Amino acid sequence: MGTINSIEELDRYRQKLAAAVKPNLPTVLVCFGTGCQANGSRLVAEAFTEVIKEQGLQVNVNLGIKTTGCHGFCENGPLVVLRPQDILYLKVKPEDVPEIVEESVKGGRIVQRLVYQDKVTGEQVAHYNEIPFYKHQLRIALRHIGTIDPTSIDDYILAGGYAGLAKALTMRPEDIITEVERSGLRGRGGAGFPTGTKWRSCAAVQSDVRYVMCNGDEGDPGAFMDRSIMEGDPHAVIEGMIIGAYAVGSHQGYIYVRDEYPLAVRNLSIAIEAAREKGLLGKNILGSGFSFDIKIIRGGGAFVCGESSALMRSVEGNVGEPRAKYIRSVERGLYNKPTVLNNVETWANVPEIILKGADWYASMGTEGSKGTKVFSLVGKVNNTGLVEVPMGISIRELVENIGGGIQGGKKFKAVQTGGPSGGCIPERLADLPIDFDSLTKAGSMMGSGGIIVMDEDTCMVDVAKYFTGFLVEESCGKCTPCRDGLPRMLDLLTDITEGRGTEEHLAMLEELCDLLTWGALCGLGTSAANPVLSTIRYFRDEYEAHIKDKKCPAGVCKALITYSIDPEACTGCRLCAKNCPQTCITGERKKPHVIDVSRCIRCGVCKDVCPYDAVRVS
Amino acid sequence: MEKISVIIDGKVFEAEKDTCVLEVARRNGIYIPSLCYHGEVPSSGGSCRVCLVEAHQGGRMRLVTACNYPVRQGLEVKTDTPLVQRIRRGILELLLARVPNSEVIREMAAKEGVTEARFRKDEGESERYKCIACGLCTHVCAEVVGVHAIAMVGRGADKKPATPYDKPSDVCIGCGACAYACPTGAIQLKEKDGIRRIWHKDFEMVRCSVCGVPYIPKAQVDWIVKRTGKDRSFFDRCPDHR
Repeated sequence: MGTINSIEELDRYRQKLAAAVKPNLPTVLVCFGTGCQANGSRLVAEAFTEVIKEQGLQVNVNLGIKTTGCHGFCENGPLVVLRPQDILYLKVKPEDVPEIVEESVKGGRIVQRLVYQDKVTGEQVAHYNEIPFYKHQLRIALRHIGTIDPTSIDDYILAGGYAGLAKALTMRPEDIITEVERSGLRGRGGAGFPTGTKWRSCAAVQSDVRYVMCNGDEGDPGAFMDRSIMEGDPHAVIEGMIIGAYAVGSHQGYIYVRDEYPLAVRNLSIAIEAAREKGLLGKNILGSGFSFDIKIIRGGGAFVCGESSALMRSVEGNVGEPRAKYIRSVERGLYNKPTVLNNVETWANVPEIILKGADWYASMGTEGSKGTKVFSLVGKVNNTGLVEVPMGISIRELVENIGGGIQGGKKFKAVQTGGPSGGCIPERLADLPIDFDSLTKAGSMMGSGGIIVMDEDTCMVDVAKYFTGFLVEESCGKCTPCRDGLPRMLDLLTDITEGRGTEEHLAMLEELCDLLTWGALCGLGTSAANPVLSTIRYFRDEYEAHIKDKKCPAGVCKALITYSIDPEACTGCRLCAKNCPQTCITGERKKPHVIDVSRCIRCGVCKDVCPYDAVRVS
Repeated sequence: MEKISVIIDGKVFEAEKDTCVLEVARRNGIYIPSLCYHGEVPSSGGSCRVCLVEAHQGGRMRLVTACNYPVRQGLEVKTDTPLVQRIRRGILELLLARVPNSEVIREMAAKEGVTEARFRKDEGESERYKCIACGLCTHVCAEVVGVHAIAMVGRGADKKPATPYDKPSDVCIGCGACAYACPTGAIQLKEKDGIRRIWHKDFEMVRCSVCGVPYIPKAQVDWIVKRTGKDRSFFDRCPDHR
């Protein structure tokens, strides 16, 4: 079937797809997200195809194989889901495949060694929705990811895709905007600007041309929410953009994707092409008379290009530098035309809001932050990955229930939220509900949704130094406070971590933070002080320990720590001495060893290899 | 153009809507320091941040760069509050640490009471060490001269204006507009024996037929003739002898 020419035809097409589905056909879903592919999921899928080809003929096993987007539980990949039972198998290797087919597909039994095991209780959980990592999630933006094949528009339509668009095309554009306003949806890219307000401002500006854009330049270290959506459900983004374009009166859209996301670029390109073939993009969409198309722009990898004005300069073919936004993008954005720029996750929410209504969406979340938010939960938690939860969930619930607690039973110290220019929130504030306003009040920010969990072995001065270093590298260099202020901040932090810090250092750091916050040109610069400000605010004692006592309480800052061997615990096994790159550990076999501190480079190898935990850091 | 009234430091001034705060202030004799902005260069400004002032509008206050903030009815600007002074001093201290050799920066900083930068200084003798990376030179080249011989390259603290790959540019006409516009005199323009050297390239100068002084690069004459259709003989004499 070629073009779909009307809303009725779309319904009929969906019914036809539904009629062709074999209801009792067992299906394996093999994750084809970036993480699982890197872990070899392609080989797993091939193994399934092989086994089915061999056995299907003999024993008449009928099995559907589908490759999907990212399930979010990437550290356990490759992930395989067996339907209709909804059994999740982790870390599946090609050699496990015959057993899965034999036991589970044919025999209906569970392969215990491949199911999730709780790291704390040791309990085994086989069913997808009972695993703590998934049990507490509420998936809207990620609604299809992991269940549909992102390269198949039919799969998307069958799952209810483009029904939001069909409904939108029967509405008046201003009513769509009102609906989005009433839903309370706020921009998921970081600043949390109300989406409906942005659309209304853009629609109100007199202009012959308007643009809608999608910001897929996700660059925060450890964050992969947007990548996962673009890879796993590209049509959700496209559908959202068509609805937005119709609402504000735009006929051309751009998706800006960083080029380091090849799978996202590929899946989006396939999706755009398929949508054009079906008449969902291009001229006269679904016979409505409305025309709109989308172009993909691949970014060159500068972090600052995620900033809206820099992103637009980059699309225009100029150097990606921010400009003063005294005149907003909704008035003069891309090519000086009124432009709506929303983040990937924001766009992916739009079709559901239109389909199910503003009241439904606004019933979730908190007073000021409605709906759900996708977070990439990383760091020292047992379960890391991508999760979607209602706004207002506490940090502690996220870390303990979904994240499964801190690795190795260590103490939970802090979370860093909001990407490199976010801030650190201490454990004592972990009952804080996560929403735009509460995080900002606590000195951090929502950002795009990166959550890095830190345990007691993390030095907060070192954390501030790491993020400041990242920002020094990524500052575009246009304005003085960011270009010249950040390197000076890094100098001061380096001094403190290397034992040269004074009270004056701390005062100067605070002065520079003030200067950046007030004086920098763009959002990258004005928020660049957050890592330092928030760690000084909550962990001032750690800074003071570095400065006054010349000690790093967490035992991280190399210049301030010494390694020694506890003679009581050392068995004289010689393992540390063999591995020491400086060969500065001496001692006779079966007698306690000694580290020559004058030659020790504090690399920590001895501590890592010691089977008796005899190496002490002080 | 629509006329509006704007308050700067308590006084009411009339101005055309969307003129920048800095122009309105200058016309009325109010001092706001400025480095990267030039009134004749449309997209200049906004990068050095020394002209930050308080803008009060709609019950909200923020610091804005006077050189590109458009005046609208109801705007009140304060150019000398403790906040403005504090941030201005901070920026000048950073610039002083970056270019301790620049007299312009030293003077401007001294005026705000900053005589010494407490941070690690960038030491060096070359012209780079007077450059504050404001980008005005590149805007002049592109928007006034129209040749795009230089652009800002690199990022962060290493950002600098340069010709492609730091090699002599094919399109540079040696006009020196970049050097004349540079607020800190960081661009070297040298002339000796009828040859001008700028941006790693030598330019043959045309001599005035009256006084014999070499006064304009031949490449610049070629460019003007091509662009404007002006008669070449016009350039036989320097401006003093036309």
